[in-house]
Amino acid sequence: MLRTAVAGLRAHRLRLLLTSLAIMLGVGFIAGTFVLNDTIQAGFSQRVTADAGKVDVAVLPKDPDGVLSEKIVERIRAVEGVTEAQGLIREPAPLVGKDGKVVGSVPTTAVSIVRGPLDRTAIVSGSGPGTDDQAAVLDENTAKAQKFQIGDTITVLDGKQAEHRFKLVGLLDPGVDQQLAYTGVVGFTTATAQRMTGAKGYREIDVAGQAAGLKQAVAAAAGGGAVVKTGDELAADLADAAGFEMRTLTVGLLMFGAVAMMVAALVIYNTFGILVAQRTREMALLRCIGATRGQVFGSIVLESVVVGLVASAFGLVIGYGLAALALAVLGAFDVQLPTDAAVTLAPATIAIGLAVGLVVTVCAALLPARSATRVRPVAALRTQVAEQTYRTGVMRWVFAVLFLLAGMGTTGFGVWGMPPGEPPTLIVVMAGGALTFLAVLILGPVLVKPLSAAVGWIPARLFGVPGRLAVDNSARNPTRAATTTVALTIGVTLMTLISVLSASTRVTVWTKLDEQFPVDYMLATQGREGGVPRSVAEGLRGKPELASVLQVRKTPTKVDGRSYDIGTYRGAVTPEVVSGAMAGLSAGEVALLDYAAKELGVTVGDTVRARTDLAGTVPLRVVAVLNGTNSTLPALTVGEQPFDTYFDRLPDSVVMINIRDGVPAEQTRAMVEAAIAAHPTVQLASSTEIRGQFDETLDMLFMIITGLLGLAILISLLGIANTLSLSVHERTRESALLRALGLTRPQLRRMLSIEALVLGLIGALVGVVLGGVFGWAAVMAMLDGAVLSVPVPQIVLFVVLSGAAGVLAAVLPARRAARASIVGALATG
Amino acid sequence: MTLTQAPPAVVATNLTKVYGHGDAEVHALRGVNVTFATGAFTAIMGPSGSGKSTLMHCLAGLDTATSGTVHIGDVELTGLTDRQLTLLRRERIGFVFQAFNLLPTLTAEQNIRLPLDISARQADQVLLDRVIDTVGLRDRLAHRPTELSGGQQQRVAMARALISKPQVIFADEPTGNLDSRSGAEILSFLRTSVRELGQTIVMVTHDPVAAAYADRVVFLRDGELITEIAAPTPQSVLDTLVKLEA
Repeated sequence: MLRTAVAGLRAHRLRLLLTSLAIMLGVGFIAGTFVLNDTIQAGFSQRVTADAGKVDVAVLPKDPDGVLSEKIVERIRAVEGVTEAQGLIREPAPLVGKDGKVVGSVPTTAVSIVRGPLDRTAIVSGSGPGTDDQAAVLDENTAKAQKFQIGDTITVLDGKQAEHRFKLVGLLDPGVDQQLAYTGVVGFTTATAQRMTGAKGYREIDVAGQAAGLKQAVAAAAGGGAVVKTGDELAADLADAAGFEMRTLTVGLLMFGAVAMMVAALVIYNTFGILVAQRTREMALLRCIGATRGQVFGSIVLESVVVGLVASAFGLVIGYGLAALALAVLGAFDVQLPTDAAVTLAPATIAIGLAVGLVVTVCAALLPARSATRVRPVAALRTQVAEQTYRTGVMRWVFAVLFLLAGMGTTGFGVWGMPPGEPPTLIVVMAGGALTFLAVLILGPVLVKPLSAAVGWIPARLFGVPGRLAVDNSARNPTRAATTTVALTIGVTLMTLISVLSASTRVTVWTKLDEQFPVDYMLATQGREGGVPRSVAEGLRGKPELASVLQVRKTPTKVDGRSYDIGTYRGAVTPEVVSGAMAGLSAGEVALLDYAAKELGVTVGDTVRARTDLAGTVPLRVVAVLNGTNSTLPALTVGEQPFDTYFDRLPDSVVMINIRDGVPAEQTRAMVEAAIAAHPTVQLASSTEIRGQFDETLDMLFMIITGLLGLAILISLLGIANTLSLSVHERTRESALLRALGLTRPQLRRMLSIEALVLGLIGALVGVVLGGVFGWAAVMAMLDGAVLSVPVPQIVLFVVLSGAAGVLAAVLPARRAARASIVGALATG
Repeated sequence: MTLTQAPPAVVATNLTKVYGHGDAEVHALRGVNVTFATGAFTAIMGPSGSGKSTLMHCLAGLDTATSGTVHIGDVELTGLTDRQLTLLRRERIGFVFQAFNLLPTLTAEQNIRLPLDISARQADQVLLDRVIDTVGLRDRLAHRPTELSGGQQQRVAMARALISKPQVIFADEPTGNLDSRSGAEILSFLRTSVRELGQTIVMVTHDPVAAAYADRVVFLRDGELITEIAAPTPQSVLDTLVKLEA
């Protein structure tokens, strides 16, 4: 039987090539993801290992936000065997850019750079600050973005917002530390770092020394508030933390790989199904000459094993190439990932790639193999294989209806019965989607005929005989057509879903932004720390170009044991009052947001007790409860004068500015910028900018996801091409007859193109409907207060592209069909 | 035999067909000269491998000859492009094959109208009715080929060949797959269409009984035209065949 299986493969090499390609791409993607992950993780490890090799023991505060005092450092230095111990400072210190404004949305991090063997800083050009308290270093990316060069003078703000100037002496590489890479780094001597940040202690103490039991001795010296690690443990933890995002990304990529493999499985299932159907006589002959059912089954399975293994092996090569390419691209784009480690195909990757490819292929071939065993020996003697007629079984309907009801029910429950925005809701809705998809999969063969008639209505009328024949042919073998189109449906469903989701997210966020940010400009400090001096808003308040200036001040406090923000406002604000009234708040009165009122269990007329800085704990009578959704006010709002007596004169937390209608935006913007010029930490935001940034992020995400789904679509197109070429092969005599009767070659080609078009459109339409419905469900499940938006042009584009792609997939099979000699085709069989 | 002044429907001159090269060279036709009169029913006979199918394929423009010429009416086939040949078949030639004559996706009526549809011609309703009645398929028009018997399928194929009023119909073993009663029916239809509709038919067969329905039988052996007989009977055909084999 082995020989027959191998001979079968040889004979059908070309036909199996497309199938192999489907597996190759799927396995390639999955293997590539693993290779990428392995390489980047290896890069992280290499770097931290090199770094941490210098440290024998590291001491970290137990509380991640805590610090270690100088006393602990001294105690550790006194431990026997310790040759050196250095504390590391790591606190925010905003760098001021050349525009006089602080850089970025969060302050840069100031770090202390120690000297001697414990120095772990990677200076890439220039030098470290050494002992020069007037010198500083920056990380490469910040320096590049802000156009600072070695020798320039840079300005950094200290804890009291005072400006200090330093000479830039070098550039450093933040290495694998994702947080430092995100905030940007400015490095000083330990003394300067302490002076600039006002740090009360160290974030880490590095210890060098060679003595048995050093770790225990240091731990004893450090006391209970610290965690002590060896250098190796530190390295492992750092690599782990650095690699976290990459692992998340890997899981995400693998999900796309899984989708691709699912589509590939459908393509394989279909190909083997068709091959078995075409080889009915061959199978029957084998049975005639004494092969058992098991042997026939085995020969098909064996064929799939060989195909699976060979294709997966090629897939691994493709994956290796893909990963190398991705690393090259990432490296070229200056991504904060180590891309320089050697690209390795780990044994685990090889094993997983081969296993996935093999299992998927063999499983997909099992059903076709089983149907091969049903061929009766007498079939060998029949000259013509009867056209299969398709009947819908009762069981098919029963199962389809059951799955559909279950799917719809689950989705409905998720959408209407569960709180939106919670992960379980989304999982329930997606489970409903999967069940519904199964229903569609089961019903596929039933749906194909009416759908092809509907989709083919125009081509059948437009293209005469070829058109009509093509539409008939597309639904001729409903099971085959359904499997072929479902492969495409998967991709289109996900694309539509993502497109509905992203459009709806956009609209929902815009709407929320308008509610939350009903202003033209907002002034706030970087990272919301410190405040906007009151003089800024007061200076702007009188300007005729501005319609309104709203100042909001707030500070955290404890109210009856719970933490809330308490604050006040100056200017026009129109909160949505749920109960009570808010016409001027006098001393001892408070307006509560609804959620705080609910949590505290109070209503209008009740009293809450809030802790203040100056007046101790004060009783406040609730006079109003406000709608807390998108409120600009804090949880507790008191009058302006009382707030000042409770908390001294705090600066504004935010200032919201509206332009008077008809005043040009550039003019007011310049005015507002001038008002904050003297305050480097105050940043100006406008709703258009926030919207623009958000749109950019969303567009990027959408493009990436679409690109990744493109793989699944590509594989499904291979499936269409495969089915068509197998059908063409099956209909050789039919094509010859048509050609004999006077169908020209272009007409025959057109016929197959239209058939592919119809198949593509069916797949796309079902996908668009499913994707639309579940896009809606996902939006309802994910977003609270969702606004549904269906990007019609985009979805129409998906349908059109699917049709076009179908036609493209038909090019080769159609050419082959048209080129075949009539006489030769008539003679066969 | 109908004698007419009309020019011959098909003329082949010095037709040769060689397959393969060198040692594998096979001469399927070796300089065949034959003329098929308009309005006549001619059978081509010969033992297996005599080249009778090749001759038909070359005459019908399905295959191109190595040398020699073929005329269908006033059109010479030599040198026509694939497209021109296709259009010629569409306009001037009808086919009835041994098997697999019909498109399984189309009904009987759609199959009959197929040649007209392909060339976007309107059906001549009178002719259509007459053809359908001649082959006796009126109550089977909405059926698909799988729902028809072998004989009925061949009658649909006959009707299809007749509907476009071709200059010549080529029938390749039209009764090869049928039982003798259905076969006789088909052959009668062929003869009737010649007598009553003035159709020209060229039929390839190896069955002496089938050949006896024709007006004239030409005999082929090893790619050469050996002899021909007019007004054949099964016995005279058989005798000639026996002589050929000897």
